[in-house]
Amino acid sequence: MNRKTRTDSTVRIGPVTFKNPVFIASGICGYGEEYSPLIRIEDLGGVVTKTITLRPRLGNPPPRIHEIPTGALNSIGLENVGLDNYITDKLPRLRDRGVGVIVSIAAELAEEFVEFAEKLAPLDGYQGVELNLSCPNIDEEALDHGRNPEFVEEITRIVKTRLPERALLVKITPNVTDIAAVARAAEAGGADGISAVNTIVGVDFDLDSGQPIFDRGSGGYSGPGILPIALQKVWEVAQAVSIPIMGIGGISSIEDARKFFIAGASAIQVGTALFVDPELTMNIVSAFDDRPEWMRRGPF
Amino acid sequence: MECSRNSITSRPGHYRAAVVENRLLSRRYYLLVLSRPGAMQDPGPGTFIHVMVPAGDRFYLRRPFSVLDCDADTISLIIVEKGEGTRAMRALPVGAELDLIGPLGHSFPRVPGQRVLALGGGVGLAPLYYYGRRREVRDCESYRLLYGARTREDLFLERFDWDTEAVTFSSDDGSYGHAGTVVALAEREIERWGADVIFSCGPNPMLKAAAEFATRRGLPHYVSLENRMACALGACRSCVVPVRENGGIAYRTVCNDGPVFDADTLAWEGLPAA
Repeated sequence: MNRKTRTDSTVRIGPVTFKNPVFIASGICGYGEEYSPLIRIEDLGGVVTKTITLRPRLGNPPPRIHEIPTGALNSIGLENVGLDNYITDKLPRLRDRGVGVIVSIAAELAEEFVEFAEKLAPLDGYQGVELNLSCPNIDEEALDHGRNPEFVEEITRIVKTRLPERALLVKITPNVTDIAAVARAAEAGGADGISAVNTIVGVDFDLDSGQPIFDRGSGGYSGPGILPIALQKVWEVAQAVSIPIMGIGGISSIEDARKFFIAGASAIQVGTALFVDPELTMNIVSAFDDRPEWMRRGPF
Repeated sequence: MECSRNSITSRPGHYRAAVVENRLLSRRYYLLVLSRPGAMQDPGPGTFIHVMVPAGDRFYLRRPFSVLDCDADTISLIIVEKGEGTRAMRALPVGAELDLIGPLGHSFPRVPGQRVLALGGGVGLAPLYYYGRRREVRDCESYRLLYGARTREDLFLERFDWDTEAVTFSSDDGSYGHAGTVVALAEREIERWGADVIFSCGPNPMLKAAAEFATRRGLPHYVSLENRMACALGACRSCVVPVRENGGIAYRTVCNDGPVFDADTLAWEGLPAA
């Protein structure tokens, strides 16, 4: 394979050029190193690390995962080590290996996002930040924030003005009536890209107990069953904004990944399918290296 | 973690393996023997492999199975029919290929010079049987296995290649071996054999009873847990169990921090009852 082909599969998101358009979605590969026994994460566009909050979170009580034929429901509840431990213990390991890193962050209040951005600003070892404004497994209030265009625009602006050199992605929820409005708000706030979509709110019940499977009731639905929904949302967002879109949701094959580019995405993230097929991201990278024309957006 | 002390660290790989043998052991359990992938690390006793169920579109996630035995050519599992996934695996013909990741997790620890009393319940026999067969057993002073199930129909050890001097059976209904639970049997057998450390694997209520037994006797106790998993690499945090830490609760993954834990660290009240 010649060098030119490789160069052609780079993707630019705001101020940052990533080596290719294939990423692992937040929550899938932990803080980045957990999948290292099986794949070379250095060869990906990057990894979006597990969402961190300012302080460590215990997460939800088990059970946290529930399999269905078309994927899985999860209720992890943003268990994470917190920003300080992430900075000390997690980020340096990836920096030393030259992995493309997008730091996923979540908070509820504007001032918390200020603190986040100010603490992250002087660090190296990461190229982008993804605002997780749409986790369905924590307080309903937090998810409601992610549905509110004014809040999304305000938070995006707060973070972008403090992190001008990083690629700022806003991860949005499909659990809204008008996803384009939320995407436009992120763009207006200065986002460099939109990550679409987060998991879909879902529930399942235990027939013996008559109770929901998860203590919290609902969970986040992901896996191949959500592919058409995710494609629809990316398609809608692509017609509403001009910034790049990272397509996420149900990608289980090279063909699925290609469909996101047709829908208008400039890059993709693989999630739940990695649990089943650890080499999937590597296979997509190889395919797009060979056929960079697959990265052309549209037509739509 | 304390639980990983003296245990073998797994270096997992992603492999394909062919079914060499697949036969019913009792009404609900079957033995699945796979060709051992050449590059696969020697799995420690207590480690597991994460298997994709080859049944079309009915199942999505992989399923973890504890290693029952392993030699140069094969790797063996005991599988209990729990649902459709394990039923589909029961139907696999010899020669069928399985996709697996492994070995994964931490093994039971080496305990040089100590007398081990191992309590296995139902399918929880697998890692304890394997431990008894491996070189680690030479490290310990003695290794006695107590193996129980609800009824004779659920016991299958007599069909295995096992030094019967070192194993004692029980059944809850008294239909085979000693009548009563395997923990009740342990109360009796410990007087006969003595013990410096307890190992256990089985359903959670049995493990909890074993933990109470070990605590009463003031003995260290290593327990192997099972749980539903997604990644099996410690990344997704799906398979957590609560442990006591710094006066509160923390969550540890069964897949990567375990599946073998120091029983004293577990917050038993937070484990599922079944």
